[in-house]
Amino acid sequence: MGGESSRGPMMTRVCWRLVDISSRILDPSEREAVRGDLVESGETSSQALREVLGLVVRRQAALWTHWRPWLSLMGLVVPLGMLLSIVSRRTAGESSVYIWMYANNWEWADLGNAGFWHAFPETVALVFTRYLTLGCWSWTSGFVLGSVSRGIIRVNGALLCLMLSFGALLGAPLYLAYFSQYLHRAFGFPSLPDPNDPVFALRFYREMFPLIVQAVLVVGPSLWGMRQGVEVARLRPLLRTILWTAAIATLAAMVIQNPDLWLFMNTHRRPGIWDGWQIRLLQLVVYWPVGYLVASAIGRRWCGRIASI
Amino acid sequence: MLGEFEYLMLTAATRLGEDAYGAAIRQEIEDATRHRCSIGALYTTLDRLEAKGFIKTRMGDPTPQRGGRPKRMVRITAKGIQAARDFYAAVTRVSRGVSWEANRAAVR
Repeated sequence: MGGESSRGPMMTRVCWRLVDISSRILDPSEREAVRGDLVESGETSSQALREVLGLVVRRQAALWTHWRPWLSLMGLVVPLGMLLSIVSRRTAGESSVYIWMYANNWEWADLGNAGFWHAFPETVALVFTRYLTLGCWSWTSGFVLGSVSRGIIRVNGALLCLMLSFGALLGAPLYLAYFSQYLHRAFGFPSLPDPNDPVFALRFYREMFPLIVQAVLVVGPSLWGMRQGVEVARLRPLLRTILWTAAIATLAAMVIQNPDLWLFMNTHRRPGIWDGWQIRLLQLVVYWPVGYLVASAIGRRWCGRIASI
Repeated sequence: MLGEFEYLMLTAATRLGEDAYGAAIRQEIEDATRHRCSIGALYTTLDRLEAKGFIKTRMGDPTPQRGGRPKRMVRITAKGIQAARDFYAAVTRVSRGVSWEANRAAVR
């Protein structure tokens, strides 16, 4: 009995906390009215949670009776989720080799080696650039998704996370295995042992590190980009057009710059296509989220200063 | 044509008059039907009725009894009154001569 009574108030607190969290999905005015109704009618915490969840489910289900959420799901969430999973796994795989070289083969005596100080900064810069590019791709994907989601942004965010999980655990590994078979068939690669086998023999680099990279450099930036994308409707039309153009160019760059994706388009048959100034410019455009966030932060601080004068 | 639950809400709102708001309408419906009325069904139906022009809603003042939270006040429109009348007339017509209608006095 003592155990039950001590669990009671805790369960009540937990239920009311869940009522608070789930009611945030509702419109502010409806949330206040519903919370007030629950207080006035003296509902228990579990009844209140049931009522609020029922309303939230009805509201979200009503949104999905229109065609727009389905179009954003099939046209954006699913393809972006898969693309980001494949790109993320490739980035994690490439950076694993460098990280393994230094982390698993570290010797303090290397610090006295001039060659170390020549190669190490270059490696850090290369890995940092790859991670920054992946983060910008992810942020841009979230930005595009957020700008078309509006009322269903939370649901789309949850669906994107689900798609990324599916992609990370199943989609990307299967796709990359198929891609490797394609390379052997198309180019007749000899069956030599992979020189990176010692890296991926370790479970950490084979299974856990790709998930860490996806969580830090894909999920986080995507959700952040989604929140920023919702605000884009308030911007002037010209600025919105510029941002959308940059976003589409960034997503195109993500497809073009990943051999796992563009080789299927037979672009390898046109040598020199990837060496032009156009590709270099496209690479610069990829980093537009950094400029956007800096400009937004400066703008907000500037507006805050003016308001305080 | 109104739905059954929509009719219950319009009738409850009309009976409550100036005091018609979410929780009060819910209580009226539960008293009449002797079944629980879910907040989800109530608020989604309020939106549907407002979209059809049968009611108008506004946010009322917060009260201490509601933890300082406002009410969603409901006012039935002329179009809503007509829709409720039509529904009642249809139910009355279709129920004429039916056993539970004919034996109403005996049931009481």
